[in-house]
Amino acid sequence: MIANTKEVSDKNFNIKRSAEEIRNLSFKDHVCIGCGICESTCPVSAIILDDVGAIVRTNSPNAKLSINEDECVLCGMCSGVCPADALIFSIDSQPISKISTYPKYDAYAEIDDDKCIYCQKCEIACPREAITIARSLPERSKLVTGEIDIDDETCVYCGICEEMCPADAIDIDRTPESESINVDKNKCVYCLVCKKSCPVTAIKASCRICSYGDYDINMEDAVTKGSSFIDDELCIKCGWCEGVCPTDAAKVKKPFEGTLTIHQDKCTVCGTCVDICPCDVLSFPKSSKSGEIVSNVAKDEQYCIKCGACAKACPVEAIEVQITNVDYTPTKSKSWIKKFEALKN
Amino acid sequence: MPKHIVSGLKYLASIELEKKGLTQQKIADELEIDRSTVSHYLNGRNLSWNSIDVAKTMTQLCPKDFLILTNVLFKNTKKTRKIISICQKKEFEAEISDSCIGCGLCVDLCLMEAVSLDSLKANISSIECCGCLICQESCPTSSIRILEVNNDREYQRS
Amino acid sequence: MELKVNQDNCLGCGVCVVACPVNVSISPEVSGGHGSLGEDVIMMVENGFIKLFNEDKCEKCGTCQMFCPVDAIWLE
Repeated sequence: MIANTKEVSDKNFNIKRSAEEIRNLSFKDHVCIGCGICESTCPVSAIILDDVGAIVRTNSPNAKLSINEDECVLCGMCSGVCPADALIFSIDSQPISKISTYPKYDAYAEIDDDKCIYCQKCEIACPREAITIARSLPERSKLVTGEIDIDDETCVYCGICEEMCPADAIDIDRTPESESINVDKNKCVYCLVCKKSCPVTAIKASCRICSYGDYDINMEDAVTKGSSFIDDELCIKCGWCEGVCPTDAAKVKKPFEGTLTIHQDKCTVCGTCVDICPCDVLSFPKSSKSGEIVSNVAKDEQYCIKCGACAKACPVEAIEVQITNVDYTPTKSKSWIKKFEALKN
Repeated sequence: MPKHIVSGLKYLASIELEKKGLTQQKIADELEIDRSTVSHYLNGRNLSWNSIDVAKTMTQLCPKDFLILTNVLFKNTKKTRKIISICQKKEFEAEISDSCIGCGLCVDLCLMEAVSLDSLKANISSIECCGCLICQESCPTSSIRILEVNNDREYQRS
Repeated sequence: MELKVNQDNCLGCGVCVVACPVNVSISPEVSGGHGSLGEDVIMMVENGFIKLFNEDKCEKCGTCQMFCPVDAIWLE
């Protein structure tokens, strides 16, 4: 007899049906944003969204979702509509996002390495910590030119230059009878602080940049190289990277268009929405001067993905999220089209 | 005895195939039995007529009972499929509504391998369908309707 | 999840009563630190201890649990 099997580990689960083909639905709790779109889409009502507000705010051991494996028919719709890819449905180990007959959101986030200057602003701004910018800095010695020489005969190994050197380039051994002084030319920036501070004028140094300008520095050596990486599992296409990027290297396309409305009069400032928003859109505004009255909750709608998690978690129905457009790839299945269209409310 | 009824079903299948003009060797190959056994069947030798009566009664049961009983007796879905496809003389056609979500449950449940998915929609082959209604009964969105084709080619609701 | 209280732990401070967003929307005077005027809020301090009056109204946001200094109210 055909039956589903369910494996649970921590807050995650896998539901499998093995027959001619192997159908598998896996859920990753740490990826789930608690929007509940899967729950309202499931054609057999097998998915139940738990009280996500309390779970997120109280370190609850509960998973955000639970699925009745006897109800689940492994159709994959929940996976298709999940804006966070917390539910992954695969057939014979092939995720449906890679199977062309299945529709998926037309959404992406990418960083153009040709434009990226590896400033890491996106990495810091990303609310999901999905971005890693690895960079290798140019060698400092390639950015300066100069000469430095220490006269061992004159030097008294007082250690003043070592203490003063801002680049930690000077190393002095002050052991009596075996004293030595050494300058690491890879670290030296020819600032001449050592020369100026030497009490016995033992250091001869000059900085060529000052007298000759930049021309004998090879600018290719002065470039910061690097690479960018977006973790697709965690990225929710909120657009923070695009918003903070100084060079237009980050491009984000969101799956939904819509509106986020906060009813300030209903809001009781409990902070559930602020804690639950996966995109750092909501915050408590600070008053700039004493006595100024600010709104209860502020929004930065530019980064909102209209997932509706805040509206669902708000205990006093002070937030409304409306999806007005859903971008998804074409499919022949009328029932799947209906479910994607039903996300508009 | 189950194995006698199995023989009875094979006998009925042999007769049907002979009517279609198959040679004894072809019939033996189709049913995966010895040619000499086919010869015995067709010449009416070494047969338990009682078992053949039971087998005949089975073919006249509702399609689901016929299918499931046969599968229990043969303990082999491939052989079951063969017997049913030869002995189930009724014709069926399926109507799949647009509410089909492409979950594939019908594909996995169909013993006759009559169902496939085409662009996230079930597609049921009339040639293989035996009218058991297992797919129709288990469809989570009630999207399948199996219709029996009458001899005058008019549909009758199953 | 269900709202639970433990009166043995409760200090009767009433922070949960004031912090609860549902309480505030039912009975706005509690946000000013006053007790509720009616018994239609989720929880109130009675005789120095927290008591649940209408736990069915709880929307499970976890605010009370976050603010309670002694783990006397929680969702489970």
